[in-house]
Amino acid sequence: MLEVRALDVSYGDAPALWGISMTVGAGELVAVVGPNGAGKTTLINSIARILPSRGGSIWLDGVEVTALPSQAMCELGVALIPEGRRLFVGMTVEENLEMGCYRPAARLHRVQGMERVYEIFPILKERRRQIAGTLSGGQQQMLAVGRALMARPKLLLVDEPSLGLSPLITQQLFEVLKKIHADGMSMLLIEQNVAIALDIAERVYVVEGGRIVSTGKPKDLLATRHIREAYLGEDVEAGSR
Amino acid sequence: MPSASLLAQSILSGILIGGLYTLLGLGLSLSWRFLQVINLAHFAFVFLAAYLSYQLIGVAGLNPGLALLILLPIFFLIGIALQYLLIRFSVNEFASLLVTFGILVLLETLIQWIWSADFRRLETSYGTASIKIGAIYVPIVECLMFFVAVIVAVVTWAWLKFTYVGKALRASAENPIIAGAYGVNHKRLAYLIAGISGATAAIAGVFIALISTLAPAQVVVWLGVVFAAVILGGLGNPLGLLVASLVIGVSEAITMAVTAPTWAPLVSFTLLIAILILRPHKV
Ligand SMILES: Nc1ncnc2c1ncn2[C@@H]1O[C@H](COP(=O)(O)OP(=O)(O)OP(=O)(O)O)[C@@H](O)[C@H]1O
Ligand SMILES: [Mg+2]
Repeated sequence: MLEVRALDVSYGDAPALWGISMTVGAGELVAVVGPNGAGKTTLINSIARILPSRGGSIWLDGVEVTALPSQAMCELGVALIPEGRRLFVGMTVEENLEMGCYRPAARLHRVQGMERVYEIFPILKERRRQIAGTLSGGQQQMLAVGRALMARPKLLLVDEPSLGLSPLITQQLFEVLKKIHADGMSMLLIEQNVAIALDIAERVYVVEGGRIVSTGKPKDLLATRHIREAYLGEDVEAGSR
Repeated sequence: MPSASLLAQSILSGILIGGLYTLLGLGLSLSWRFLQVINLAHFAFVFLAAYLSYQLIGVAGLNPGLALLILLPIFFLIGIALQYLLIRFSVNEFASLLVTFGILVLLETLIQWIWSADFRRLETSYGTASIKIGAIYVPIVECLMFFVAVIVAVVTWAWLKFTYVGKALRASAENPIIAGAYGVNHKRLAYLIAGISGATAAIAGVFIALISTLAPAQVVVWLGVVFAAVILGGLGNPLGLLVASLVIGVSEAITMAVTAPTWAPLVSFTLLIAILILRPHKV
Protein backbone atom coordinates (compact mmCIF):
# COMPACT_ATOMS: atom_id res chain seq x y z
CA MET A 1 0.00 0.00 0.00
CA LEU A 2 2.43 2.66 1.24
CA GLU A 3 6.18 2.57 0.96
CA VAL A 4 8.54 5.28 2.14
CA ARG A 5 12.14 5.03 0.96
CA ALA A 6 15.01 6.94 2.58
CA LEU A 7 12.90 10.04 3.19
CA ASP A 8 14.72 13.21 4.20
CA VAL A 9 12.75 16.25 5.35
CA SER A 10 14.01 19.58 6.68
CA TYR A 11 12.49 22.80 7.92
CA GLY A 12 14.59 25.36 6.10
CA ASP A 13 18.12 24.31 6.84
CA ALA A 14 17.23 22.31 9.92
CA PRO A 15 16.88 18.62 9.10
CA ALA A 16 13.99 16.89 10.86
CA LEU A 17 14.02 13.41 9.28
CA TRP A 18 17.00 11.40 8.09
CA GLY A 19 16.55 8.49 5.70
CA ILE A 20 13.24 7.17 6.95
CA SER A 21 12.16 3.93 5.28
CA MET A 22 8.93 2.21 6.19
CA THR A 23 5.92 0.42 4.77
CA VAL A 24 2.25 -0.04 5.49
CA GLY A 25 0.73 -3.12 3.91
CA ALA A 26 -2.82 -3.33 2.57
CA GLY A 27 -5.20 -3.61 5.49
CA GLU A 28 -2.40 -3.22 7.99
CA LEU A 29 -2.39 -0.99 11.06
CA VAL A 30 1.07 0.40 11.65
CA ALA A 31 1.94 2.65 14.56
CA VAL A 32 4.77 5.15 14.86
CA VAL A 33 5.83 6.03 18.37
CA GLY A 34 8.53 8.27 19.72
CA PRO A 35 9.18 11.15 22.10
CA ASN A 36 8.15 14.79 21.59
CA GLY A 37 9.94 16.39 18.69
CA ALA A 38 11.07 13.05 17.25
CA GLY A 39 9.64 13.92 13.83
CA LYS A 40 6.44 11.85 13.80
CA THR A 41 4.21 14.69 12.63
CA THR A 42 6.85 15.69 10.12
CA LEU A 43 6.77 12.14 8.75
CA ILE A 44 3.01 11.86 8.43
CA ASN A 45 2.61 15.37 6.97
CA SER A 46 5.28 14.59 4.45
CA ILE A 47 3.50 11.38 3.46
CA ALA A 48 0.32 13.41 2.99
CA ARG A 49 2.46 15.75 0.85
CA ILE A 50 1.47 18.84 2.80
CA LEU A 51 5.15 19.07 3.69
CA PRO A 52 7.76 18.73 0.94
CA SER A 53 10.64 16.32 1.28
CA ARG A 54 14.25 16.97 0.44
CA GLY A 55 15.28 13.46 -0.51
CA GLY A 56 13.96 9.92 -0.85
CA SER A 57 10.68 8.78 -2.32
CA ILE A 58 7.13 7.83 -1.43
CA TRP A 59 5.20 5.10 -3.21
CA LEU A 60 1.54 4.25 -3.17
CA ASP A 61 0.44 0.90 -4.57
CA GLY A 62 3.67 0.73 -6.54
CA VAL A 63 3.32 4.22 -8.03
CA GLU A 64 5.74 6.95 -7.09
CA VAL A 65 3.87 9.92 -5.60
CA THR A 66 6.81 11.96 -4.33
CA ALA A 67 6.26 14.79 -6.81
CA LEU A 68 2.49 14.99 -6.40
CA PRO A 69 0.64 17.79 -4.58
CA SER A 70 -1.51 17.02 -1.55
CA GLN A 71 -4.72 17.24 -3.63
CA ALA A 72 -3.51 14.31 -5.72
CA MET A 73 -2.83 12.25 -2.59
CA CYS A 74 -6.42 12.83 -1.61
CA GLU A 75 -7.56 11.66 -5.06
CA LEU A 76 -5.44 8.54 -4.63
CA GLY A 77 -7.21 7.65 -1.42
CA VAL A 78 -4.98 8.96 1.34
CA ALA A 79 -6.79 10.89 4.08
CA LEU A 80 -5.06 12.77 6.89
CA ILE A 81 -6.38 13.27 10.39
CA PRO A 82 -3.88 15.94 11.35
CA GLU A 83 -2.35 16.63 14.72
CA GLY A 84 -4.59 18.96 16.70
CA ARG A 85 -7.54 18.02 14.40
CA ARG A 86 -7.29 21.24 12.33
CA LEU A 87 -11.00 21.35 11.62
CA PHE A 88 -12.58 24.18 9.68
CA VAL A 89 -13.67 25.66 12.98
CA GLY A 90 -15.82 28.43 11.55
CA MET A 91 -17.90 25.98 9.54
CA THR A 92 -20.64 23.64 10.70
CA VAL A 93 -20.17 19.97 11.52
CA GLU A 94 -21.95 19.00 8.33
CA GLU A 95 -19.88 21.39 6.23
CA ASN A 96 -16.70 19.91 7.66
CA LEU A 97 -17.91 16.47 6.62
CA GLU A 98 -18.74 17.80 3.18
CA MET A 99 -15.23 19.14 2.84
CA GLY A 100 -14.08 15.59 3.56
CA CYS A 101 -15.87 14.39 0.43
CA TYR A 102 -14.85 17.35 -1.70
CA ARG A 103 -12.96 15.21 -4.18
CA PRO A 104 -15.35 14.29 -7.01
CA ALA A 105 -15.15 10.52 -6.58
CA ALA A 106 -16.08 10.82 -2.90
CA ARG A 107 -18.74 13.45 -3.54
CA LEU A 108 -20.86 10.88 -5.33
CA HIS A 109 -21.13 8.98 -2.05
CA ARG A 110 -21.87 11.98 0.13
CA VAL A 111 -25.14 10.64 1.51
CA GLN A 112 -23.92 7.13 2.33
CA GLY A 113 -20.72 8.58 3.76
CA MET A 114 -22.60 10.88 6.06
CA GLU A 115 -24.95 8.13 7.18
CA ARG A 116 -21.97 5.98 8.04
CA VAL A 117 -20.23 8.75 10.00
CA TYR A 118 -23.43 9.58 11.88
CA GLU A 119 -23.88 5.91 12.67
CA ILE A 120 -20.38 5.72 14.14
CA PHE A 121 -20.69 9.06 15.94
CA PRO A 122 -24.39 9.75 16.66
CA ILE A 123 -23.47 12.92 18.58
CA LEU A 124 -22.24 14.48 15.35
CA LYS A 125 -25.67 14.00 13.83
CA GLU A 126 -27.28 15.80 16.75
CA ARG A 127 -24.82 18.64 16.34
CA ARG A 128 -24.65 18.73 12.58
CA ARG A 129 -25.70 22.39 12.33
CA GLN A 130 -23.36 23.47 15.09
CA ILE A 131 -20.15 25.40 14.37
CA ALA A 132 -17.24 22.96 14.65
CA GLY A 133 -15.21 25.29 16.86
CA THR A 134 -17.86 25.07 19.57
CA LEU A 135 -17.65 21.28 19.94
CA SER A 136 -15.83 19.65 22.85
CA GLY A 137 -12.36 18.24 22.26
CA GLY A 138 -13.63 14.69 21.95
CA GLN A 139 -16.37 15.67 19.52
CA GLN A 140 -13.88 17.65 17.47
CA GLN A 141 -11.68 14.59 17.20
CA MET A 142 -14.70 12.52 16.15
CA LEU A 143 -15.41 15.11 13.49
CA ALA A 144 -11.80 14.97 12.31
CA VAL A 145 -12.14 11.20 11.96
CA GLY A 146 -15.51 11.60 10.25
CA ARG A 147 -14.15 14.16 7.81
CA ALA A 148 -11.38 11.75 6.85
CA LEU A 149 -13.82 8.86 6.40
CA MET A 150 -15.94 11.00 4.10
CA ALA A 151 -13.00 11.01 1.67
CA ARG A 152 -13.43 7.21 1.29
CA PRO A 153 -9.72 6.63 1.83
CA LYS A 154 -7.75 3.43 1.35
CA LEU A 155 -5.10 4.65 3.75
CA LEU A 156 -5.84 6.66 6.84
CA LEU A 157 -3.06 8.77 8.34
CA VAL A 158 -3.85 9.48 11.98
CA ASP A 159 -1.68 11.88 13.97
CA GLU A 160 -2.05 11.68 17.76
CA PRO A 161 -5.80 11.33 18.02
CA SER A 162 -5.60 11.18 21.81
CA LEU A 163 -4.06 14.65 22.09
CA GLY A 164 -5.86 16.55 24.82
CA LEU A 165 -8.55 13.92 25.37
CA SER A 166 -9.53 12.23 28.62
CA PRO A 167 -8.58 8.56 29.02
CA LEU A 168 -12.20 7.49 28.67
CA ILE A 169 -12.76 9.44 25.44
CA THR A 170 -9.40 8.21 24.15
CA GLN A 171 -10.44 4.64 24.78
CA GLN A 172 -13.75 5.11 22.97
CA LEU A 173 -11.98 6.73 20.05
CA PHE A 174 -9.55 3.86 19.76
CA GLU A 175 -12.42 1.39 19.77
CA VAL A 176 -13.73 3.22 16.71
CA LEU A 177 -10.34 3.25 14.99
CA LYS A 178 -9.99 -0.46 15.70
CA LYS A 179 -13.39 -1.09 14.17
CA ILE A 180 -12.54 0.97 11.07
CA HIS A 181 -9.36 -1.02 10.71
CA ALA A 182 -11.21 -4.29 11.20
CA ASP A 183 -13.44 -3.30 8.27
CA GLY A 184 -10.33 -3.34 6.09
CA MET A 185 -8.79 0.12 6.30
CA SER A 186 -5.03 0.47 6.10
CA MET A 187 -3.85 2.82 8.79
CA LEU A 188 -0.73 4.67 9.83
CA LEU A 189 -1.17 5.79 13.41
CA ILE A 190 1.01 8.13 15.38
CA GLU A 191 0.53 7.92 19.10
CA GLN A 192 2.35 9.27 22.14
CA ASN A 193 0.56 6.81 24.35
CA VAL A 194 2.79 3.84 23.64
CA ALA A 195 0.74 1.38 25.64
CA ILE A 196 -2.31 2.05 23.49
CA ALA A 197 -0.29 2.07 20.29
CA LEU A 198 1.30 -1.29 21.07
CA ASP A 199 -2.07 -2.69 21.96
CA ILE A 200 -3.78 -1.77 18.71
CA ALA A 201 -0.99 -1.94 16.10
CA GLU A 202 0.19 -4.91 14.08
CA ARG A 203 3.59 -3.39 13.49
CA VAL A 204 5.40 -0.50 15.14
CA TYR A 205 8.21 1.87 14.19
CA VAL A 206 10.05 3.72 16.92
CA VAL A 207 11.30 7.15 15.82
CA GLU A 208 13.83 9.14 17.82
CA GLY A 209 15.67 12.26 16.70
CA GLY A 210 14.36 11.99 13.15
CA ARG A 211 15.49 8.38 12.61
CA ILE A 212 13.86 5.01 12.95
CA VAL A 213 15.63 3.34 15.85
CA SER A 214 13.69 0.12 15.97
CA THR A 215 10.79 -1.68 14.42
CA GLY A 216 8.86 -4.88 14.87
CA LYS A 217 5.71 -6.45 16.15
CA PRO A 218 4.37 -5.05 19.42
CA LYS A 219 5.22 -8.19 21.36
CA ASP A 220 8.83 -8.15 20.12
CA LEU A 221 9.22 -4.51 21.05
CA LEU A 222 7.70 -5.17 24.43
CA ALA A 223 10.46 -7.63 25.01
CA THR A 224 13.17 -5.04 24.47
CA ARG A 225 14.59 -3.23 27.41
CA HIS A 226 14.79 0.18 25.67
CA ILE A 227 11.06 0.28 24.94
CA ARG A 228 10.08 -0.82 28.38
CA GLU A 229 12.33 1.66 30.10
CA ALA A 230 11.92 4.67 27.85
CA TYR A 231 8.26 4.37 26.89
CA LEU A 232 6.46 2.25 29.42
CA GLY A 233 8.26 3.65 32.43
CA GLU A 234 9.31 0.22 33.71
CA ASP A 235 12.49 -0.19 35.67
CA VAL A 236 13.87 -3.24 33.95
CA GLU A 237 17.03 -3.47 36.05
CA ALA A 238 15.08 -3.93 39.24
CA GLY A 239 12.35 -5.80 37.38
CA SER A 240 10.34 -8.29 39.29
CA ARG A 241 10.76 -11.20 36.92
CA MET B 1 -35.92 69.73 11.66
CA PRO B 2 -36.66 68.74 8.04
CA SER B 3 -40.18 67.95 6.88
CA ALA B 4 -41.48 64.40 6.87
CA SER B 5 -41.39 64.13 3.11
CA LEU B 6 -37.84 65.42 2.93
CA LEU B 7 -36.85 62.89 5.55
CA ALA B 8 -38.60 60.10 3.65
CA GLN B 9 -36.88 61.21 0.46
CA SER B 10 -33.54 61.14 2.28
CA ILE B 11 -34.13 57.69 3.66
CA LEU B 12 -35.01 56.40 0.21
CA SER B 13 -31.87 57.87 -1.33
CA GLY B 14 -29.87 56.42 1.59
CA ILE B 15 -31.26 52.97 0.85
CA LEU B 16 -30.53 53.31 -2.84
CA ILE B 17 -26.97 54.56 -2.30
CA GLY B 18 -26.58 51.57 0.04
CA GLY B 19 -27.11 49.43 -3.04
CA LEU B 20 -24.19 51.20 -4.70
CA TYR B 21 -21.99 50.67 -1.66
CA THR B 22 -22.85 46.97 -1.78
CA LEU B 23 -21.91 46.70 -5.44
CA LEU B 24 -18.68 48.59 -4.80
CA GLY B 25 -17.80 46.63 -1.68
CA LEU B 26 -18.54 43.10 -2.80
CA GLY B 27 -15.37 42.58 -4.81
CA LEU B 28 -13.29 44.17 -2.08
CA SER B 29 -14.86 41.98 0.60
CA LEU B 30 -14.45 38.75 -1.37
CA SER B 31 -10.84 39.29 -2.32
CA TRP B 32 -9.93 40.44 1.18
CA ARG B 33 -11.44 37.39 2.82
CA PHE B 34 -10.65 34.70 0.29
CA LEU B 35 -7.47 35.95 -1.35
CA GLN B 36 -5.97 37.99 1.50
CA VAL B 37 -5.76 40.83 -1.02
CA ILE B 38 -6.94 44.29 0.04
CA ASN B 39 -7.66 45.41 -3.45
CA LEU B 40 -7.66 49.21 -3.68
CA ALA B 41 -7.33 48.90 -7.44
CA HIS B 42 -10.91 47.65 -7.40
CA PHE B 43 -12.09 51.26 -7.21
CA ALA B 44 -10.09 52.08 -10.32
CA PHE B 45 -11.54 49.01 -12.06
CA VAL B 46 -15.00 50.34 -11.23
CA PHE B 47 -14.24 53.71 -12.78
CA LEU B 48 -12.56 52.16 -15.76
CA ALA B 49 -15.78 50.20 -16.25
CA ALA B 50 -17.78 53.40 -15.77
CA TYR B 51 -15.78 55.27 -18.40
CA LEU B 52 -16.01 52.33 -20.78
CA SER B 53 -19.78 52.30 -20.21
CA TYR B 54 -19.83 56.00 -20.96
CA GLN B 55 -18.01 55.20 -24.18
CA LEU B 56 -20.18 52.21 -25.12
CA ILE B 57 -23.53 53.67 -24.13
CA GLY B 58 -23.01 57.39 -24.68
CA VAL B 59 -20.71 57.41 -27.68
CA ALA B 60 -21.36 54.06 -29.42
CA GLY B 61 -25.05 54.16 -28.50
CA LEU B 62 -25.28 50.65 -27.05
CA ASN B 63 -28.01 49.63 -24.68
CA PRO B 64 -26.72 49.48 -21.05
CA GLY B 65 -27.56 45.79 -20.71
CA LEU B 66 -25.47 44.99 -23.74
CA ALA B 67 -22.65 47.19 -22.44
CA LEU B 68 -22.73 45.24 -19.18
CA LEU B 69 -22.58 41.94 -21.07
CA ILE B 70 -19.48 43.15 -22.88
CA LEU B 71 -17.81 44.51 -19.74
CA LEU B 72 -18.48 41.53 -17.45
CA PRO B 73 -16.07 39.09 -19.14
CA ILE B 74 -13.48 41.84 -19.66
CA PHE B 75 -13.42 42.70 -15.97
CA PHE B 76 -13.53 39.03 -15.01
CA LEU B 77 -10.27 38.69 -16.93
CA ILE B 78 -8.85 41.89 -15.45
CA GLY B 79 -9.49 40.47 -11.97
CA ILE B 80 -7.70 37.26 -12.93
CA ALA B 81 -4.79 39.18 -14.44
CA LEU B 82 -4.31 41.15 -11.22
CA GLN B 83 -4.41 37.96 -9.17
CA TYR B 84 -1.86 36.40 -11.50
CA LEU B 85 0.49 39.31 -10.89
CA LEU B 86 -0.01 39.20 -7.14
CA ILE B 87 0.73 35.46 -7.05
CA ARG B 88 3.61 35.81 -9.48
CA PHE B 89 5.31 38.29 -7.17
CA SER B 90 4.05 36.57 -3.98
CA VAL B 91 2.46 39.71 -2.59
CA ASN B 92 1.19 39.30 0.98
CA GLU B 93 -1.88 40.89 2.52
CA PHE B 94 -0.21 44.09 3.69
CA ALA B 95 1.89 44.52 0.58
CA SER B 96 -1.24 44.03 -1.53
CA LEU B 97 -2.54 47.27 -0.07
CA LEU B 98 0.51 49.13 -1.37
CA VAL B 99 0.72 47.36 -4.71
CA THR B 100 -2.97 47.80 -5.52
CA PHE B 101 -2.78 51.43 -4.42
CA GLY B 102 -0.03 51.84 -6.98
CA ILE B 103 -2.25 50.27 -9.63
CA LEU B 104 -5.10 52.55 -8.57
CA VAL B 105 -2.98 55.65 -9.12
CA LEU B 106 -1.74 54.26 -12.41
CA LEU B 107 -5.23 53.57 -13.69
CA GLU B 108 -6.48 56.94 -12.50
CA THR B 109 -3.72 58.56 -14.55
CA LEU B 110 -4.59 56.36 -17.51
CA ILE B 111 -8.25 57.38 -17.26
CA GLN B 112 -7.27 61.03 -17.08
CA TRP B 113 -5.01 60.60 -20.08
CA ILE B 114 -7.73 58.99 -22.19
CA TRP B 115 -10.80 60.90 -21.05
CA SER B 116 -9.15 64.08 -19.64
CA ALA B 117 -9.84 65.54 -16.21
CA ASP B 118 -13.11 67.09 -17.41
CA PHE B 119 -16.41 65.91 -16.06
CA ARG B 120 -18.20 63.41 -18.26
CA ARG B 121 -21.90 62.92 -18.06
CA LEU B 122 -23.81 60.18 -19.77
CA GLU B 123 -26.99 61.80 -21.10
CA THR B 124 -29.77 59.26 -21.52
CA SER B 125 -33.51 59.60 -21.55
CA TYR B 126 -33.88 57.28 -18.56
CA GLY B 127 -30.80 58.29 -16.50
CA THR B 128 -32.67 60.78 -14.36
CA ALA B 129 -36.20 59.48 -14.87
CA SER B 130 -38.22 59.00 -11.74
CA ILE B 131 -41.75 58.20 -10.72
CA LYS B 132 -43.55 60.17 -8.06
CA ILE B 133 -45.14 58.19 -5.25
CA GLY B 134 -46.97 60.50 -2.86
CA ALA B 135 -44.56 63.30 -2.17
CA ILE B 136 -41.51 61.19 -2.93
CA TYR B 137 -39.56 60.91 -6.16
CA VAL B 138 -38.31 57.40 -6.89
CA PRO B 139 -35.40 57.39 -9.36
CA ILE B 140 -35.78 54.42 -11.66
CA VAL B 141 -32.18 53.58 -12.55
CA GLU B 142 -31.13 53.83 -8.92
CA CYS B 143 -33.95 51.49 -7.94
CA LEU B 144 -32.78 49.05 -10.56
CA MET B 145 -29.25 49.38 -9.18
CA PHE B 146 -30.54 48.64 -5.72
CA PHE B 147 -32.36 45.50 -6.85
CA VAL B 148 -29.34 44.32 -8.78
CA ALA B 149 -27.21 44.88 -5.66
CA VAL B 150 -29.62 42.85 -3.53
CA ILE B 151 -29.73 40.05 -6.08
CA VAL B 152 -25.97 39.94 -6.52
CA ALA B 153 -25.39 39.97 -2.75
CA VAL B 154 -27.96 37.24 -2.09
CA VAL B 155 -26.75 35.04 -4.94
CA THR B 156 -23.13 35.39 -3.85
CA TRP B 157 -24.07 34.63 -0.27
CA ALA B 158 -26.01 31.53 -1.30
CA TRP B 159 -23.20 30.43 -3.58
CA LEU B 160 -20.69 30.69 -0.73
CA LYS B 161 -23.03 29.00 1.71
CA PHE B 162 -24.48 26.12 -0.23
CA THR B 163 -22.19 25.06 -3.06
CA TYR B 164 -19.12 22.87 -2.82
CA VAL B 165 -17.03 25.63 -4.35
CA GLY B 166 -18.31 28.13 -1.80
CA LYS B 167 -17.58 25.77 1.07
CA ALA B 168 -14.15 25.04 -0.36
CA LEU B 169 -13.44 28.76 -0.49
CA ARG B 170 -14.42 29.19 3.14
CA ALA B 171 -12.43 26.13 4.20
CA SER B 172 -9.45 27.33 2.26
CA ALA B 173 -9.63 30.77 3.84
CA GLU B 174 -9.51 29.09 7.25
CA ASN B 175 -6.88 26.50 6.58
CA PRO B 176 -5.50 26.27 3.05
CA ILE B 177 -3.13 23.41 3.80
CA ILE B 178 -5.72 21.05 5.23
CA ALA B 179 -8.27 22.09 2.60
CA GLY B 180 -5.61 21.22 0.03
CA ALA B 181 -5.14 17.80 1.62
CA TYR B 182 -8.86 17.22 1.06
CA GLY B 183 -8.62 18.08 -2.60
CA VAL B 184 -9.23 21.82 -2.71
CA ASN B 185 -7.19 23.47 -5.43
CA HIS B 186 -6.74 26.85 -3.78
CA LYS B 187 -5.05 28.45 -6.76
CA ARG B 188 -7.87 27.66 -9.16
CA LEU B 189 -10.48 28.92 -6.71
CA ALA B 190 -8.40 32.04 -6.13
CA TYR B 191 -8.56 32.86 -9.82
CA LEU B 192 -12.29 32.24 -9.83
CA ILE B 193 -12.96 34.59 -6.92
CA ALA B 194 -10.58 37.18 -8.38
CA GLY B 195 -12.52 37.02 -11.63
CA ILE B 196 -15.85 37.35 -9.86
CA SER B 197 -14.57 40.31 -7.85
CA GLY B 198 -13.46 41.91 -11.08
CA ALA B 199 -16.84 41.26 -12.70
CA THR B 200 -18.65 43.05 -9.85
CA ALA B 201 -16.58 46.14 -10.73
CA ALA B 202 -18.20 46.06 -14.17
CA ILE B 203 -21.69 46.00 -12.65
CA ALA B 204 -20.90 48.89 -10.32
CA GLY B 205 -19.23 50.77 -13.16
CA VAL B 206 -22.22 50.62 -15.50
CA PHE B 207 -24.53 51.98 -12.81
CA ILE B 208 -22.12 54.73 -11.80
CA ALA B 209 -21.93 55.81 -15.44
CA LEU B 210 -25.73 55.93 -15.57
CA ILE B 211 -26.40 57.82 -12.36
CA SER B 212 -23.38 59.98 -11.75
CA THR B 213 -20.97 62.44 -13.30
CA LEU B 214 -17.56 60.97 -14.01
CA ALA B 215 -14.21 62.54 -13.28
CA PRO B 216 -10.87 60.82 -12.65
CA ALA B 217 -10.68 62.30 -9.17
CA GLN B 218 -13.96 60.54 -8.30
CA VAL B 219 -12.12 57.21 -8.19
CA VAL B 220 -11.38 57.50 -4.48
CA VAL B 221 -14.55 59.33 -3.42
CA TRP B 222 -16.33 56.22 -2.11
CA LEU B 223 -13.22 54.44 -0.87
CA GLY B 224 -13.63 55.29 2.81
CA VAL B 225 -17.30 54.62 3.12
CA VAL B 226 -17.08 51.35 1.20
CA PHE B 227 -14.21 50.19 3.39
CA ALA B 228 -16.36 50.91 6.40
CA ALA B 229 -19.24 48.91 4.94
CA VAL B 230 -16.98 45.98 4.04
CA ILE B 231 -15.49 45.81 7.52
CA LEU B 232 -18.80 46.34 9.31
CA GLY B 233 -20.45 43.68 7.18
CA GLY B 234 -17.76 41.14 7.91
CA LEU B 235 -15.14 40.12 5.34
CA GLY B 236 -16.48 37.68 2.79
CA ASN B 237 -20.05 38.11 4.00
CA PRO B 238 -22.22 39.52 1.19
CA LEU B 239 -25.40 39.75 3.26
CA GLY B 240 -23.55 41.48 6.08
CA LEU B 241 -22.15 43.89 3.53
CA LEU B 242 -25.63 44.60 2.19
CA VAL B 243 -26.99 45.34 5.65
CA ALA B 244 -23.98 47.46 6.61
CA SER B 245 -24.25 49.40 3.35
CA LEU B 246 -27.91 50.14 3.98
CA VAL B 247 -27.26 51.21 7.57
CA ILE B 248 -24.45 53.51 6.48
CA GLY B 249 -26.36 54.85 3.48
CA VAL B 250 -29.46 55.66 5.51
CA SER B 251 -27.53 57.14 8.45
CA GLU B 252 -25.58 59.33 6.07
CA ALA B 253 -28.72 60.50 4.32
CA ILE B 254 -30.48 61.33 7.57
CA THR B 255 -27.39 63.15 8.85
CA MET B 256 -27.31 65.19 5.66
CA ALA B 257 -30.98 66.05 5.92
CA VAL B 258 -30.81 66.99 9.57
CA THR B 259 -27.43 68.77 9.62
CA ALA B 260 -25.34 69.54 6.56
CA PRO B 261 -23.89 67.34 3.79
CA THR B 262 -20.37 67.89 5.11
CA TRP B 263 -21.20 65.82 8.20
CA ALA B 264 -22.12 62.71 6.25
CA PRO B 265 -18.66 61.11 6.04
CA LEU B 266 -18.42 61.21 9.82
CA VAL B 267 -21.28 58.76 10.11
CA SER B 268 -19.67 55.75 8.52
CA PHE B 269 -16.43 56.19 10.38
CA THR B 270 -18.10 56.78 13.71
CA LEU B 271 -20.01 53.56 13.16
CA LEU B 272 -16.88 51.76 12.06
CA ILE B 273 -14.84 52.88 15.02
CA ALA B 274 -17.66 52.12 17.43
CA ILE B 275 -18.03 48.59 16.08
CA LEU B 276 -14.28 47.98 16.02
CA ILE B 277 -14.13 48.93 19.67
CA LEU B 278 -17.18 46.95 20.68
CA ARG B 279 -16.43 43.73 18.79
CA PRO B 280 -12.77 43.77 17.77
CA HIS B 281 -12.59 39.98 17.38
CA LYS B 282 -15.10 39.99 14.55
CA VAL B 283 -12.84 41.86 12.17
N1 LIG C 1 7.09 24.22 11.30
C1 LIG C 1 8.30 23.89 11.80
N2 LIG C 1 9.37 24.67 11.57
C2 LIG C 1 10.57 24.37 12.05
N3 LIG C 1 10.84 23.27 12.77
C3 LIG C 1 9.82 22.44 13.04
C4 LIG C 1 8.50 22.70 12.56
N4 LIG C 1 7.69 21.71 12.96
C5 LIG C 1 8.47 20.87 13.65
N5 LIG C 1 9.74 21.29 13.70
C6 LIG C 1 10.87 20.60 14.36
O1 LIG C 1 11.00 19.35 13.76
C7 LIG C 1 11.23 18.35 14.74
C8 LIG C 1 10.17 17.28 14.63
O2 LIG C 1 8.89 17.83 14.95
P1 LIG C 1 7.57 17.01 14.86
O3 LIG C 1 6.45 17.96 15.07
O4 LIG C 1 7.56 16.23 13.62
O5 LIG C 1 7.70 16.04 16.11
P2 LIG C 1 6.66 15.03 16.72
O6 LIG C 1 7.35 13.74 16.82
O7 LIG C 1 5.40 15.07 15.96
O8 LIG C 1 6.44 15.64 18.16
P3 LIG C 1 5.13 15.67 19.07
O9 LIG C 1 5.06 14.37 19.74
O10 LIG C 1 5.40 16.80 20.02
O11 LIG C 1 3.99 15.95 18.18
C9 LIG C 1 11.24 19.07 16.08
O12 LIG C 1 12.57 19.29 16.43
C10 LIG C 1 10.55 20.37 15.81
O13 LIG C 1 11.09 21.38 16.61
MG1 LIG D 1 3.49 15.51 16.42
